[in-house]
Amino acid sequence: MFTGLGHHLRFLRRIFALEIPSRSVPLPPFPVPSNPFSVTLTEAAVGSLLRPPSFYLHRMRRRIPTERIQFCTLTAQPEHSDASPYLSVRIRCLKRDADMLSDALLCFGANSASMDELSDSHDLDEIWITCIFADHQDVHTCISQAVGSFGLNYVPKYEISAGKICDWTTNVQESFHPIEVVTGLWIVPKWREPPDLQATNIILDPGMAFGTGEHPTTKLCLMLLHRLLHGGELLLDYGTGSGILGIAAVKMGASSSVGIDIEPQAVISARENVALNGISSSKMSVYLVPNATGTSNADEETENPEKRTLLGFQPDCSKGKFDFIIANILLNPLIELAVDIVSYGRPGSNIGLSGILSEQVQQIKEIYSQYLENISVSDMEGWACIHGTKKEKLDM
Amino acid sequence: MATLKDVAARRPIAATIRLIVPAGGARPAPPVGPALGQYRLNLMAFCKDFNARTQKYSPDTPMAVTITAYKDNTFEFIVKSPSVSWFLKKAAGLELGSERPGHVVASSLTLRHVYEIAKIKQTDVSCKHLSIEAICKSIIGTARSMGIEIVKDL
Repeated sequence: MFTGLGHHLRFLRRIFALEIPSRSVPLPPFPVPSNPFSVTLTEAAVGSLLRPPSFYLHRMRRRIPTERIQFCTLTAQPEHSDASPYLSVRIRCLKRDADMLSDALLCFGANSASMDELSDSHDLDEIWITCIFADHQDVHTCISQAVGSFGLNYVPKYEISAGKICDWTTNVQESFHPIEVVTGLWIVPKWREPPDLQATNIILDPGMAFGTGEHPTTKLCLMLLHRLLHGGELLLDYGTGSGILGIAAVKMGASSSVGIDIEPQAVISARENVALNGISSSKMSVYLVPNATGTSNADEETENPEKRTLLGFQPDCSKGKFDFIIANILLNPLIELAVDIVSYGRPGSNIGLSGILSEQVQQIKEIYSQYLENISVSDMEGWACIHGTKKEKLDM
Repeated sequence: MATLKDVAARRPIAATIRLIVPAGGARPAPPVGPALGQYRLNLMAFCKDFNARTQKYSPDTPMAVTITAYKDNTFEFIVKSPSVSWFLKKAAGLELGSERPGHVVASSLTLRHVYEIAKIKQTDVSCKHLSIEAICKSIIGTARSMGIEIVKDL
């Protein structure tokens, strides 16, 4: 019976030229006859076959996703904590159905759906949609549900391939170039040469953490540091990401920096960058801290030995010690953690806050005006940075 | 993120990407990573921008994003608020709508709820030109099709 069905499938494959996924890809274990993709002898299905000449189908079938293989350098990339493989599916359909099909696919479980704009489309009026699914998902069911949901009258052909992490991380890394933030201060990615060896160069390998120097908020914070640091300060980089602000402070003359972040990946990246810039860990130390708001991963952290090496910050000893605090995060954390952020500074210390849009400045000002005075705002390209000094007399 | 210039100076589009990302939770990992990475877009800039713009929504609200990637590796994106049916289900505390809408009432909501949802929806690009009244009527229609009753007061 099984061989009979297998034979039936092979027969179908030839007649309908369907890309019935081969066994190497995760599938429902048995090609069930009620699978809507295998049979529907409708007029439209046969029609769509007869319309394009047969050489089309051969060309389409032989179209291996070569673009992906070329980018995958397969170097020894460190395994990131959320490095999960994913499934990439290329679906072919008519242009007029593409929008609806993408939306339907998103509703039924696809993580994303992208459409390339083909300016010179030799594929007549058909277009490719590239969908990304999580590794364990049932692509078959999702596509059939999506197609059924808005009554598509033909069966779109598709091919599945497994995607690897290196496919897209190398792409992104290639786009970083050295940037001059203020005169004499350059941010240089690890794999490029500094254009000006005399200037202050910060060498970075951001990896999966935030802070390449390109973003307006990073630039605003760096300009603030450049303006206000005169030397010998103790700086706290709250939400350090790649460590860029802490490192910049040390290079500009601060006596030492401490960086803290809730993401283990950020702490690892930051420590690597500190070493890359030749700064000793006594001058700049980076720690993982628990997420003070919402979900607490306390159990997870103590069980995981790797994470334990990242811990070590003593919040109680550090309160009221720092001369400069810089926090480039997001609106909600800045509001929720206002008391925490301000508590680390000594009276009269400088506090810089960023990662907010210009329209969010008012909310921050309202909350922080009880702790800070001389509040000033600088902005760039719709992003803002707020600076103030901690009030002398505060009950904290 | 590139600033929006006048439509006449339209740059060649490389691709249109649709994604569902939880509000405030964009990270350079799947689904955002592979989808944007394959067009060499600046992942970090997108994550930061998206997270900052979705701060007003409660965390993990699924937001639909449409990104237009240009051939010069710049991009623009539009964030859409979640669908009306999602809001209604959340407000009513339901997992699914009614099995037989029109016959079986799954839950009830007040006009106050409808108004609040309409206010959020009005910030959406596709609804900007509609009056609050029109949006409310459309929400009531959706609620009826899901089997949620709208009453004046609970």
